[in-house]
Amino acid sequence: MGHSDASSLREIASAANTGSAADRGVKVWGDISNPVPSQEPAPARGDSNVAESPDPEDIYHRIGQLTRTLHDAMRELGYQESLADVRDNLPDARDRLAYIARVTGDAAEKVLNSVDRARSVQDEISEGAKNLRTRWTAVAVYGAGGERATPAGVALVNETCEFLANLGKQAELTSAILTEIMMAQDFHDLTGQVIRKIVDLAQTLEEQLVKLLIDATPEEQRKKAIDGKKPEGPVVNPEGRSDVVADQAGVDDLLASLGF
Amino acid sequence: MSTDPRFLIVDDFSTMRRILRNLLKEIGYNNAEEAEDGVVALNLLRSGKFDFVVSDINMPNMDGFALLKSIRADEKLKSIPFLMVTAEAKKEDIVNAAQNGANGYIVKPFTKATLEEKVQKIMQKNA
Repeated sequence: MGHSDASSLREIASAANTGSAADRGVKVWGDISNPVPSQEPAPARGDSNVAESPDPEDIYHRIGQLTRTLHDAMRELGYQESLADVRDNLPDARDRLAYIARVTGDAAEKVLNSVDRARSVQDEISEGAKNLRTRWTAVAVYGAGGERATPAGVALVNETCEFLANLGKQAELTSAILTEIMMAQDFHDLTGQVIRKIVDLAQTLEEQLVKLLIDATPEEQRKKAIDGKKPEGPVVNPEGRSDVVADQAGVDDLLASLGF
Repeated sequence: MSTDPRFLIVDDFSTMRRILRNLLKEIGYNNAEEAEDGVVALNLLRSGKFDFVVSDINMPNMDGFALLKSIRADEKLKSIPFLMVTAEAKKEDIVNAAQNGANGYIVKPFTKATLEEKVQKIMQKNA
């Protein structure tokens, strides 16, 4: 969004200086502002007369008109309340996104704390069951050969031993479930990266809008540094893209194909 | 490689650092430190003994690629195993990581089994 705005502006700014891009500049602004007063139809590309002997006066005249239109259009944009509203609302949107990131982060931390506590309780139960099972097994051996053991007593001891043994297995299952709950908290990292990217985008857009509204000069826009290449973060829609992998198997296949 | 290898987990999200630390513990590695970006990680690596780096890519101040390059360019640190764990799924990034000396690459979201497999594989190769 911000980048496309920026590139449109750069394109327009560039159009003010280059005859070849002038038509594109007119077309962009023609959608949202008063078009350049109608000119003679532009000769088709490859027209030998134009290509070989352009009239400098005519080109300067057209650039001047284009620049004037550009100034006027930008000034008009500066007075548009809707545009100013967008600019004013962007900091609020950023704050809200930052709030979402903070709250979801807090929630993830709480879950992780709870998982840690549950795992600790689970470990205690497992350890206790293991100790008790050892002791009850000893009693069972004694009871089986002892004269004072009743059949009901032996059965009770055996059932208790079995229960304690199962408790250990169930503890392993609970531990696996706790790991799943813990892993699910990676949503904070993944969504957080996307939110941060949108916040950065909103910031860029806001800065561009402020410049557009205050300066309203193509020269200023031309001076804007072109953003460098930034990491993309989680891919939200890998379908139909050939430049990204969809899963870990894709990573492994790619690296294997390169001999890594 | 030490019998109780010391890990350095590098990620700007505390949640992910914690998840990685707990997973490593479940896998059997209890010795881990954390850093929130490449700069902090590099300082820790230069001031202490670490056997394994698990790092994100997209971080402020110094990203995972810059950290990897700094490690590989440092005479004392260059042989430390380096595992990327990142949401960056672009083929270009994966190839870059490999060409710059990463020993493994995991895309988020990942599973405990994937982490265990990659860590063990790297450990075996560097044993």
